[in-house]
Amino acid sequence: MLGTTARSSSGALPQGGPLPSFGLQWLWQYLEDVRYPQVLECGPLRSVTVRILLARCGKLYRADLVSPLERQEPALWDRSRKAPLFRTEVLLAELPSLSSASVSVILCWQLLDLLPRDAVSDVLLFFHRLLEPGGVIFCLLREPRLEKGIESAWRMESLTTLVREHEGSKPFVYPALSNRDIERLIPTGSVKTFLTRSGWREVLAVK
Amino acid sequence: MLWEKKPQAGGPEKPLPATAVPPDTSALEKPEKPMTDIAPRATPSVSTQQSSTLGRSVVIKGELAGKEDLMIEGQFEGTIDVAEHIVTVGAQGQVKSEIRARQVVVHGSVAGKITAREKIEIRRTGNVVGDLVAAGVAIEDGAYFKGSIEILREGRAETPKAQAATAQVTHSTPAIQTTRGDRS
Repeated sequence: MLGTTARSSSGALPQGGPLPSFGLQWLWQYLEDVRYPQVLECGPLRSVTVRILLARCGKLYRADLVSPLERQEPALWDRSRKAPLFRTEVLLAELPSLSSASVSVILCWQLLDLLPRDAVSDVLLFFHRLLEPGGVIFCLLREPRLEKGIESAWRMESLTTLVREHEGSKPFVYPALSNRDIERLIPTGSVKTFLTRSGWREVLAVK
Repeated sequence: MLWEKKPQAGGPEKPLPATAVPPDTSALEKPEKPMTDIAPRATPSVSTQQSSTLGRSVVIKGELAGKEDLMIEGQFEGTIDVAEHIVTVGAQGQVKSEIRARQVVVHGSVAGKITAREKIEIRRTGNVVGDLVAAGVAIEDGAYFKGSIEILREGRAETPKAQAATAQVTHSTPAIQTTRGDRS
């Protein structure tokens, strides 16, 4: 396990208020006919988020893929070579065992912005295989103008509102992903984007 | 001492007069029951003060079943079945086991499937890897959990529409930028 002894930080900056998430509104309206969807949540554990998701979904799969990347866990990198190699398989091994086409929603928050660019395609392909037809990947992508905030954290306040727990002040390591990048990396389906004023946009990739 | 009784001069206290009437306790009297009709005090089957503890130095491998609450402070590997009682994994407890109980509280480490008829709680110091199946699950911030959570629902008529209504979905026009053809 990666970093099991480290606990999530509470953040030094003041907590923001709940903000409506148009991406999540669209998501749950899209899944209105699915009584108990199966959801995979890949962010830091937040008790409120877990409680809200459990009220809506039939089964919740959980694994924190974000915190090991924020902490730059040594196990994620092969430094035996000249150029450090990101070990995507180690990160994906943190996920619980899931069969293909078994998940309705994947909430990966700001995960894609924390990945090296050559690992984004592998992770998105892996997530795409987990999604059932019509399944959705929900992620938060930073705008190119946002240079700092790699350790930003969100939690759900309700099914359709988010609270940004802290903004973060550390600079991003990798260049921002564009919607065109996401379109190119997702084999099939469509991409929807909801802009916000916080420097992040909500992107939903539908299989 | 203001209220100290002054000893009477000249001898012991005077006894009560013979005409003193004892207090009327008839209203308080309960009808006497013959000994054979007195039912023994029933012990509730779900809340018992009996419990067992596996101490910190205890290491056990095997199958554990019982009809009382269980506290694990040591190491256990195997299966635990205390269907109508509470299993508590202490902060020092390390369990590699499938657990079946009425309620499970984890302060320590558990690897395995946990099934609870009522509730599973993972406290801040808890570390759980496995699948949870229960009517209710609560995980505190700071805990570590990896696995799946399935809520046992008893066929309640909670429709997704009702849940979306409680989430106060607004229908104002958001700023939408679609980059591919909409499927909706």
